[in-house]
Amino acid sequence: MANHAVLDNVTHKDLRVITERSARYGDNIACSTVFPIELRQVQAQYPIVLRKNADSGRFEPIALFGLNSQENLFLDEGGWDASYIPLSVERQPFLIGVKPNPGADSELSVHIDMDSPRVSQTEGEPVFLQYGGDSPFLQRITSVLLAIHEGHEQNRGLTDALAGLELLEPFTLDIQLQDGSKHKLAGLYTINEERLRSLEGAAVADLHRAGHLEAVYMILASLPNFKRLIERKNARL
Amino acid sequence: MTEPVKRLIVVGGGSAGWLTAGTLAAEHQAHLPTGIEVILVESPDVKIIGVGEGTWPTMRNTLKKLGIAETDFVRDCDASFKQGSKFCGWVNGQQDDVYYHPFTLPEGYNRLNLAPAWQQQRQHIKFADAVCFQPALCERGLAPKQITTPEYASVANYGYHLDAGKFARLLQKHCTEKLGVKHILDHVTGINSHPDGDIASLATRQHGNIEADLFIDCSGFKSLLLGEHFGIPFVSKKDTLFIDSALAVQVPYPEPDSPIASHTISTAQSAGWIWDIGLPSRRGVGHVFSSAHISPQQAEAQLRAYIRPSLGPQADDLPLRQIAINPGHRQKFWHKNCVAVGMAAGFLEPLEASALVLVELSAAMISEQLPATRGVMDIVARRFNDTFSYRWDRVIDFLKLHYVLSLREDSDFWADNRSDSSIPDSLQELLQLWQYHYPWHSDFSRADEIFSSASYQYVLYGMGFATRPRATAQAENYNQQASQHFQENARRLDKLLTALPNNRQLLNKIKHFGLQKI
Repeated sequence: MANHAVLDNVTHKDLRVITERSARYGDNIACSTVFPIELRQVQAQYPIVLRKNADSGRFEPIALFGLNSQENLFLDEGGWDASYIPLSVERQPFLIGVKPNPGADSELSVHIDMDSPRVSQTEGEPVFLQYGGDSPFLQRITSVLLAIHEGHEQNRGLTDALAGLELLEPFTLDIQLQDGSKHKLAGLYTINEERLRSLEGAAVADLHRAGHLEAVYMILASLPNFKRLIERKNARL
Repeated sequence: MTEPVKRLIVVGGGSAGWLTAGTLAAEHQAHLPTGIEVILVESPDVKIIGVGEGTWPTMRNTLKKLGIAETDFVRDCDASFKQGSKFCGWVNGQQDDVYYHPFTLPEGYNRLNLAPAWQQQRQHIKFADAVCFQPALCERGLAPKQITTPEYASVANYGYHLDAGKFARLLQKHCTEKLGVKHILDHVTGINSHPDGDIASLATRQHGNIEADLFIDCSGFKSLLLGEHFGIPFVSKKDTLFIDSALAVQVPYPEPDSPIASHTISTAQSAGWIWDIGLPSRRGVGHVFSSAHISPQQAEAQLRAYIRPSLGPQADDLPLRQIAINPGHRQKFWHKNCVAVGMAAGFLEPLEASALVLVELSAAMISEQLPATRGVMDIVARRFNDTFSYRWDRVIDFLKLHYVLSLREDSDFWADNRSDSSIPDSLQELLQLWQYHYPWHSDFSRADEIFSSASYQYVLYGMGFATRPRATAQAENYNQQASQHFQENARRLDKLLTALPNNRQLLNKIKHFGLQKI
């Protein structure tokens, strides 16, 4: 069970957070949600596909790190072997708390999962400065959390637009590895390129104005990364 | 006789009228100048009866064809999922007298008949539980799908419970705004005929004479065109199906998040039965009974006694609505250039929710076989009449089966239902056959049977019917295959019990997030 606490500079004044990347700290994940703001960096490293959120059934883009659950093919003894790590991985073990504020913007606050193995008193990055100010590390985390908060809304706008134009299609990836073993990735969705090519001008302009067109092409541009992901898998056989 | 059939008038604005108008308009492109023209004429005074709050799984395909999003349907019609029916007290009225007729077919139904194998273990497990995972889902209040399941797709087969008044309004909006159906609110004051007896036009109070090539009578019990104008006789089925009265009531939930049953609960009474349908916002409950066997006062007392455990003394104050039922149907349904759909064609009783499915089937057949010219209309009419005479007879057989198999003796209602003279020959024949033979696909002749042999299996073996097995040996590996199917059913159930949300949770999520199209 997660043990979420609102972060404050009295209770947590000596708190440190380990930023090393390792399965020990829960980085052995096969995918994570990604957001429009980071798709350009993400597509340079990982395949981007869409899946349905298990809670809402809505589509969301994800980056794939592995082919099986709890398999992160970018993780080795040296850490996470990629030049960009998605925001929703970077934020760990912090979360954003949203308190609805009638008639005004919601109140946002930084929370932390105190049960996370990253939480320490001795190792890692200090969260607060000596006299209680936010450390550069916490400033970075705060901006990451804000980007994620806005990213959820942006994802919704993006996927509603794509689903509305019937630009998404389900796909199943059948993979045969060098040792002959077969893997199947199901429950994934991608851009229907035929639909995209036949989209009429006004719809394309709408997508462009809403900032979704770039996301569409970033997702398409990420697909060759499947080959690199499979190469990583083969290299570990 | 060679003039093309291009303009259709539907008379009546209930579910039957709008479903038929919508089905025809969608398939024949009424929104385009090159398509047919569909006009729906509705009297501003006529109150919609709004029976038929239960549908079959066929409704999913019907709605999809109309181009209605399932999310909109669920939100706008106060709709919930129906996975079948639960029958309580139909055999002997004891506490444990319960069986299910689920919408999902028995495991492996296209390959193997599991009834003989089940019969060897009938003391240990109910038929529906042995062959189908769905009754267990219903008992646990689980939904038939997940929020990630695309619209109209299912994990377990399902239809709906819905608010019929809201349903007619959604259909009206969709038909007029999206499908090009013209809506005229006016009184029909007369019917003008061609010399050959065909209907030429409807005389209306404010819109003058409205002409058409085909007139579809969805005017309800009134049967304005087929019954009143053409005088096609009504064939009463009261000697077979005794229900002639209904008392209906809307029952609030005790809590806003009270569970919603995802099956129709049908509970036998001394001279009829009580339906119980869970919508998201309320339950629809009603007692249908035979006035020859029980007084309306007694029927009301039984209905209130049924509601009281869930609602307390408030049950005694809820207003009841009385509805007369005249079970039967018109002698034929398509006459000259007029075809009746819905109650204008007939109505039996609410058991097994056969009313809306007959509307869907009628609308689909009219639409698929829509005569190109008046000349071929008589051929289509004859085929339509053959098909629907057969279908009404099969529905009557199947409904009657529920009463015939009962052992109840708490009034003459049940005894009279078992008397041979009230049982159609076709049903008597089937019952004789099934004493030695387990119902199977080939027992019925049509490809699109209304009630399949699976439905007969669920009711027969749910109600304790025993088929005497053949004395000769079964195929050698039959038992082994059957036990594999039983195990497969149990495995599926295990998986679904953890994967499926409860019914209200899912309906709330659909209202909040919607269902995806893919």
